[in-house]
Amino acid sequence: MPKHSVLIVGAGISGMRAALAAHERGSDVALISKVHPLRTHGGTSQGGINAAVRDGDGVELHGAETVKGADYLADQDAVELLTGAAPRAVIELDHWGVPFNRDPTGRLDARSLCGATRSRACFVDDMTGHAILQVLWEQVLKAAIPVYDEWVVTKPLLDDGACVGVVAIELASGKVEAFTADAVVLATGGCARVYEPTGAGYGVTGDGVALAYQAGAPLMDMEMVQFHPLGIRGSGMILTDAVLGLGGHLVNGGGERFALKYAPTLGERAPRDIVARAAEEEIVGGPAEFVALDLRHLDGEEFKSRFPFTSNIIKTQAGVDPAKDTVPVRPVAHRTMGGIQVDSDGATGVAGLYACGGCADTRVHGANGLGGNWLLEALVFGERAGLAAAQEARSAKGIDARLEDERRRIAVIVDRPAGPERAGPMRSELGRVMRRCVGPLRDASGLKEAATKIGELSARYRKVCITSKGRRYNYELGAFLELESLLSVGQVIVAAAQFREESRGAHVRRDHPVRDDARWLAHTVASFRPDGPAMTSKPVVVTKWKPEGRRY
Amino acid sequence: MQATFKVSRYDPEAGGKPTLQPYTLELPEDATVLDGLFKIREELDGSLAFRASCNRGFCGECTLRISRGGRLACMTRVATARTKDGEVTVEPIRYVRVLKDLVCDMDRSLWQKIKAVEPWLQPAARPPEREYIVADAQLRPVRNAMKCYHCGLCDEGCSVIPFDNTFLGPAALTKAYRFLADPRDGARAHRLRGLGEPRGMWDCVHCYEADEHCPRGIDPTHRILDLREMAIGMGIKSGATNPQVARHYESFAASVKKSGWLDEGRLALETWGVRRIFGLLPVAWRALQRGKLPIPYRHPKRAGAERIGRIFEKVERRKP
Repeated sequence: MPKHSVLIVGAGISGMRAALAAHERGSDVALISKVHPLRTHGGTSQGGINAAVRDGDGVELHGAETVKGADYLADQDAVELLTGAAPRAVIELDHWGVPFNRDPTGRLDARSLCGATRSRACFVDDMTGHAILQVLWEQVLKAAIPVYDEWVVTKPLLDDGACVGVVAIELASGKVEAFTADAVVLATGGCARVYEPTGAGYGVTGDGVALAYQAGAPLMDMEMVQFHPLGIRGSGMILTDAVLGLGGHLVNGGGERFALKYAPTLGERAPRDIVARAAEEEIVGGPAEFVALDLRHLDGEEFKSRFPFTSNIIKTQAGVDPAKDTVPVRPVAHRTMGGIQVDSDGATGVAGLYACGGCADTRVHGANGLGGNWLLEALVFGERAGLAAAQEARSAKGIDARLEDERRRIAVIVDRPAGPERAGPMRSELGRVMRRCVGPLRDASGLKEAATKIGELSARYRKVCITSKGRRYNYELGAFLELESLLSVGQVIVAAAQFREESRGAHVRRDHPVRDDARWLAHTVASFRPDGPAMTSKPVVVTKWKPEGRRY
Repeated sequence: MQATFKVSRYDPEAGGKPTLQPYTLELPEDATVLDGLFKIREELDGSLAFRASCNRGFCGECTLRISRGGRLACMTRVATARTKDGEVTVEPIRYVRVLKDLVCDMDRSLWQKIKAVEPWLQPAARPPEREYIVADAQLRPVRNAMKCYHCGLCDEGCSVIPFDNTFLGPAALTKAYRFLADPRDGARAHRLRGLGEPRGMWDCVHCYEADEHCPRGIDPTHRILDLREMAIGMGIKSGATNPQVARHYESFAASVKKSGWLDEGRLALETWGVRRIFGLLPVAWRALQRGKLPIPYRHPKRAGAERIGRIFEKVERRKP
């Protein structure tokens, strides 16, 4: 039974940053992850990481634009922490070896991303996340932090209301094992796989969110799902919206450039929620199933050299040459602003249980996260959670009995009698109803339909059988467990979307089309009840930026 | 569209050999090979083991041998991956131990080798208060090497690894290059001494297969040659247990500089030394019988040797 002081679940950008922080505090820390650290999802983040490091910018302006980008649903104390810590976080990465692009004076260069009036995103070509992920892994190797990779966490170990570890299955052997710890940090990433299509990877299934929720930690602002306007036809693979920053246009089925109708000043360079909603309105109200990304007026050679990954995706996935043709795109689920409710140190409310990164709602993205703030958030709050978790000390009792219970539960799942229900097709059904009814445009009847469908799927889930009985690399069992997470996450997203009767940022209710600050300058909070989430609300923390109209 | 996949199935614990199992499936026109594999696992055969993660061509996790070529399954469309008889074959990459079906032991073949090159920045001094001031051009080669998504296809193409799986290989050496190219790193001599040991950079036979196989355009063979150049430039040639590599290199150059072409006898003698040269006596005897024994140092200059010598002098003057 492996034992550590701090156990981090998820070895992506925020998890590894948390592990390094705990290690620096002298803590015996380990990472456990269902994939190898270099295969985690932050590596796909292309655009950059925001930090006010250049002349003419400042943390104050970065904060103001973050709050406005969030449609005032961000807690401003958390935003001040984030933007204030940003320059040091980026410089630390530079000291660790991230090869950030430089300006002609040799200082950090920065690019302009949607929703920002300054060039604030430090970047590494179009592979910023990929480079950061590699460098964090390098530091984890240097620190000799143990990594249990290809272990799927199935359950938190709770003792007297406190989290004292987790139970996990090793994919390679099928062994079910308990890992005990003084503190557990969840860093499992978001849950955008609850939608189909999505730009999120196969592993982004909300495991940590569901795990914390069932352990009693409330979830916050789960209705706030960011749709990315540039999901390519077919798989829904996402093109970086830095191509819009560079001057790419979006054109509707009638050949009209439409973004300026929705954001008269910034047009396509407005924040993602606005551009995605504009594209969705054009698709719903128009003849075509897609809008077109037009890059033909840009310098083809320059585009190819600045966006090599993106050029390759357009060529292989859309099968078009962006110098000659437009690229068909539509909004796809991308990130979740909401997640496990945490304080500034990642504490969840369940003793010993912390969260950071995509699975946590660190309160900085509100109703819409800005490009360049996601990587930043993962690092800043990952570090804080790791430092806080390293302070914990507790002893665990009765682990053996709980481990045996979990082993029995999993054995029973695998031994279920054969039947027609399979996890994969059910996940697709869930994803499609979420996209249709809980997408960029929502209303009460669609949400009700989604709720009913999820209820039906949850009932059918109990009959899903595992056809593969082998112990080694049983990915079917993994998919079954992920579906359980997705169903509970989907249920909360729908309940929160029903609860918030206004339109704000990424959450657009056609039956409640305006922002209602009097009632809804507040977070939605969902707590687990066996018969469905109990919804409450909690006021937004306002420090220095008074809510105003949001025009771009 | 209808597609036939032939997928390699293997469970080492059950014994036997890998077999290609056929599956016929209905897929959308623009489906990728990875879409097909998921459809098989989710609807036809839950026991099929394969890895996948980002579904965006970024993470390298779904690297497979598709219709006899190494590719990412998520970036390969079924329509373009069919063989002549209309099928799509899906196998693990070669020369790596298979753990189950399409899942390989990447830990042993890749991660452990990368770990062996001390893959973290080792600055010479405390970092500056702010970012390092560096010319962007100096970081470009670093970024080029870091485009690597660790798919392992350069190692799969490598000519040495099938014969000696302990060779570090182009992937790990490219990772090492990433630090040696980085102006912020301060451990160049230490790193180059390590890479000069047996199974390191000198074991590369520069067949350029890695450059052919790398889907990211990193040209790993060129990066290995860059490492050697750096080592020679710093006077660090090879490790304590394989000094003959450096001697070979030096003797080769000295011979061409002197006579315009290769003095093979001298090369053998200087590479192996007087004592170890006795081990080559049987070869020498047979060569002598056939009138092919090269006598060291009695090597006629070829035409234009002076001009070749001047090239060497010019290059040597240019070195820092």
